[in-house]
Amino acid sequence: MSRSYSILLFLAITTMFSIGCDKDDPVIPNEEELITTLEVILTPTGAGDQVVLRFIDIDGDGGEGPTITTDDLTANTTYTGRIELSDESTTPAEDITAEVIEEDDEHQFFFDTDVPGLTVAYADADDNGNPLGQALTVTTTDAASGNFTITLRHEPDKSATGVAQGDITNAGGETDIEVTFAVNVQ
Amino acid sequence: MCNDRLLILFLFIFLWCGSSGQNCQLTVDGFVTDEATGRPLSAVNVIVQETGFGIFTEDDGAFTISNLCPGEYHITFSHIGCENLDIHLDVAADTVIDIKMPHTAISLKGVTIEGEANALSNQPSVAIKKKDIEDNTNESLSGLLKNVSGVHLIQNGSGITKPIVHGLSGNRLVILNNGIPQSGQQWGRDHAPEIDPLTANKITVLKGTNAIAYSGGNMGSLILVEPSKIAHEPHLHGSVSYAFETNGRGHIVNAQAQKHNHTLSWRAVTTFKKYGDRSAADYFLNNTGSNEINAALQLEKVWKESVFTDVFISTFNTTLGVLRGSHIGNLPDLEDALMRDVPLFTEEEFSYEIEAPRQKVSHHLAKINTKFYFQDDQSIQLTLAGQLNDRKEFDVRRSGRSDIPALSLKQYTVNADINYVNNLTAGGTLKAGFQNTFTDNTNDPETGILPLIPDYFTWKTGIFTTLTKTFNKINLNAGVRYDFETQDVVAISMSQPREILRFDNQFHNVNAAFGLKYDISEIQTLTINTGYAMRNPAINELYSNGLHQGVSGIEEGNAALETERGIKSTLEYKLVPSANVSISALGYYHRFDNYIFLDPQEELRLTIRGAFPVFVYNQTDAEIFGLDIASQFSAGRSFAGLIKYSFIRGNDIEANIPLVNIAPGNIYGSLTYRVDKMSLQSSKRFENIELSVNYKYVFEQKNLLPEQDFVLPPDAYGLLGLEASTNIGLPKNRLRVVLRASNVLNVSYRDYLNRQRYFADDAGRSVTASVQLKF
Repeated sequence: MSRSYSILLFLAITTMFSIGCDKDDPVIPNEEELITTLEVILTPTGAGDQVVLRFIDIDGDGGEGPTITTDDLTANTTYTGRIELSDESTTPAEDITAEVIEEDDEHQFFFDTDVPGLTVAYADADDNGNPLGQALTVTTTDAASGNFTITLRHEPDKSATGVAQGDITNAGGETDIEVTFAVNVQ
Repeated sequence: MCNDRLLILFLFIFLWCGSSGQNCQLTVDGFVTDEATGRPLSAVNVIVQETGFGIFTEDDGAFTISNLCPGEYHITFSHIGCENLDIHLDVAADTVIDIKMPHTAISLKGVTIEGEANALSNQPSVAIKKKDIEDNTNESLSGLLKNVSGVHLIQNGSGITKPIVHGLSGNRLVILNNGIPQSGQQWGRDHAPEIDPLTANKITVLKGTNAIAYSGGNMGSLILVEPSKIAHEPHLHGSVSYAFETNGRGHIVNAQAQKHNHTLSWRAVTTFKKYGDRSAADYFLNNTGSNEINAALQLEKVWKESVFTDVFISTFNTTLGVLRGSHIGNLPDLEDALMRDVPLFTEEEFSYEIEAPRQKVSHHLAKINTKFYFQDDQSIQLTLAGQLNDRKEFDVRRSGRSDIPALSLKQYTVNADINYVNNLTAGGTLKAGFQNTFTDNTNDPETGILPLIPDYFTWKTGIFTTLTKTFNKINLNAGVRYDFETQDVVAISMSQPREILRFDNQFHNVNAAFGLKYDISEIQTLTINTGYAMRNPAINELYSNGLHQGVSGIEEGNAALETERGIKSTLEYKLVPSANVSISALGYYHRFDNYIFLDPQEELRLTIRGAFPVFVYNQTDAEIFGLDIASQFSAGRSFAGLIKYSFIRGNDIEANIPLVNIAPGNIYGSLTYRVDKMSLQSSKRFENIELSVNYKYVFEQKNLLPEQDFVLPPDAYGLLGLEASTNIGLPKNRLRVVLRASNVLNVSYRDYLNRQRYFADDAGRSVTASVQLKF
C-alpha cells in the first residue's frame, strides 16, 4: 500500500467518527432499593384513635424535599406500634419492610426523643434475641411536645455495650434512615 | 563540546578478516561522558558480563578492556546516582566506543519525548528512570511520583492514588500512556489512573505551562508514560522479578522479554499483584487489599528505510478494596467516625478478602502508529488508538445487593491523529498536527441506582502547530492550538416521574504558549515559559447529580458553567557548577478565570437518610503558585545526596479564601553510600552495593479556614526510609536484590490529601524485598 493511499484511508477513518450521530436513550434503572416512605403506625391498646407519623420523599435524594405529617398522641396511653417502609415511586408501591425483617440480624432501629414522659420500647427480636425495632411499644404520660427521631442502622454491632438496650452510641454501621418527627402529646 | 558527539552510543567496529585462529588479544577502548554536560565522567564502573572483568574510568573518562577474544559481549556501565547503561558489542577487532551516560538528574538540556527526535521541549520536567521503576515494583504509577518535587498525591487509602502536578489533577491533568491521552473516569477523586508503570521504561512529569501538541483538557502539565524503543539487540533479553511487601503482605511478580528482529521486534510484559489488608502503625485497615493482573505487548516493524510501524496493546485489571470503616451513611455517621481513634469494623485478623466497598476496574488499550520519512528531515506520523475503560464500584447494600455495582460505567475512546514534523534546514523544528478524539460513555442500569454522571458522546477535533528555533545561546519555542468539542448528553431527571433529558453543547478552546531558554554559560541556564489554556467544563462538572457516599455529600453539576481559562508562567534556573553538584529552582504562578470547583452550600438537604451537605460546581477566579527546588551532589565514588523542597499555595481570589485540597509544603532528602567494589571484584559476587537513607517531612496545612473542612488538617509528620541494593553477577545472568523500608519508625500519621484521614491513620512501617533476574 502506498503512502498516499494509507494517509487517505486514515483520513477517511478520521472523518467517519467526526460525523455526528445521537447517543441512545439510557435505560432508566429500576431503583428497587429506594425507600420513599416511612410510616409509624401506632394503635392504642385500649380505646382511642390510631396515630400515623409519615415521612415521604417521592423522588429520592434530589428534586423536591420530603413531606412530613404527624397525628397527635393521647396522654397516658400505651401504643402498640409498627414501622412500615415502602417505595411509592412505583405502582403498585413496593414494600421494603419485609427486606429489613428478613435481614433482622443486620439491622436495628433506634429511637430518640426529647418529649417529657414519652418512652419507647422494643417489641421484637432477631434470631439472636437482639432487638430489631420494627415492632415497638410507645407509652405516653402527661401532655407535652418535642422531637421523635427514628434511625435505622445497617450492620450495627448489636453486641456492643448498650446497643441491645437501644443506645445508638456504640452501634456503628451505616445509617439507612434518619427521620425526625415533631410530635404532640395531648 | 557534547555536540560533537550527538549520538548516545557511537560504535566503530573494524572488521578483521585475518586468520581464523582465536585471537584473544583484542581491546576495547572508550570514553564515558556525562550526557547532560558533555564532560568526562570518572569513577564509572565498567563490567564485561561474560568475563566478569571490571574497571573504573579515569579522570578523563577513559577506560580500556584488554585481552578479549572475538565474540559478543554485554557491557554494563554504572555510576553512583545514575541509571545503569547496558550495551551489546560484537567484537571482531580492536574497538573504540564512545559512551554517554545519563548522569545528573538535573539536566541542562530539555526533555526529549520518546519518538519525537530532535524536538526538545523547554518545559520544566522530571523523569523517573527505568532503574527506579524496576526497583519499586510494589509502587503504583502515582506512588513512583510521590517524591518528585511539585507532585503530590490525592489518595483514598494506600491502594487508590492519583497524581497532582502543580496543584492540578483529574480533568486538568493529562496522562499520556504511550502517547495516547489516558481516558477513563478521571473526574473521580478516588479514581486512580489505570496504568501499569512496569510496562514503561520512563515516566516523565512535565511541569509545564502548555502542552500544545496533546489533546485532552490539559492546563499545562503532563505525565508521560513511555516504553523505550526495543533495543537493537539480536538476543532474547528480559527479566523476571518477585517482590514481597510486609505491609499488606503483598506479592508482586513481573516478567519481561524482548527481542530485536529484522522482520519484527517485540517486547512483552506481564505483572501480577496481590495485597491483603494494609496496616496503620497500630491496627489493620480492614478491607484495603488489592489485586492486579496486567499485560502488554509492543511490536516494532521497519517496512523499508523510511517507514516504521509500532503497535502497543495493553490490558490492566484491578480490584481495589476501600477501608470498610470509611463507608458511612450520613453526616452524623461522619461526625461519629471523626471522633474515633480506631475506625469501625477494624479486625484483629489479617485478611486477603476484598469485600464491599470495592472498585473493579479494567482498562484496555490498543494503538497502531506508522511513521513515514520524507527526505531525511520531514516525517508524517499516523496514530490510531482505541481504549475501553470499564469501572464498577460496589457499596455495602441491603439484601445481598453488595454484589451488584452501585456505579457501573463503560467508556470507549478512539483517537486518530496525524502529526507532521519538519526539522528545518536552518535549524529548529516545525510541528503540526490534526487530532481527533471520540468518547462514548454509558452507564449500565444493572446498578438499580440513578447514575451519578449521565451517558454521553463527545467529539473533539484539534489542530496545532509549534515551532522551536535556536539562535546562538537562546532557544525559543512557540505554539498555538485550537480544539472544537461537541457534547451529546442524555441524562435521567432527578424528579418523578423519571424523564430523559438531552443536552447538546459546543465549545471552542484556544491554547497558546511561548517559551525561551537562555544558556547563560556552560553551567547555567534560565528558562521562562508562559502559556494560555482554555478548558471547557467537563460532563461531571455540568451534569453530575447524586449522593457521593464517599464524601458524605450530595454533588450537583451546574449546566451554566462556562469555559475555564488559565495563564501559567514558570521561571526555572539551573546551575551545574561541576560534575558533582547541580541545583535547580522552579517558580510558577497560575492565574485562573472561571476556575471550576465544588462549592459547599449553606443549607443541608433533608433526605430519608438524614441531612446531607450539598456541593454545587461553581466558578471563581483563582490563583495557584509555588516553588520547587532540587539539589543533587556527589563526593567521589562513594557518596551522593539529594535534597528537594516544594511549596504550593492556592487562593480563591473572589472570596478571598484558600482553595481546598492544596498540598502542604514538604522537604525530602536522601543520602547514598556506595561500597567501592574494587575490593569485591575478585570474588565477583556483589556489584554496586548501595545503601541509602531518606527522610521526608510534610508540613501541616495551615492555609485553610476551619469551616472549609469537616475536621482540621492533620499535623505535620516525618517519615524515615532505608534502602539497600546490590547486583550479584552470575555466570550468565545478573541478579538484583533490593531491600527497602518505609516509615521505619512506624509513625502514626495522617496526610491532608488522603481521604482516609477522616477515618484512620496512614500506612505504618513496611519492608519490601525484591529480587530481579536479568537474562
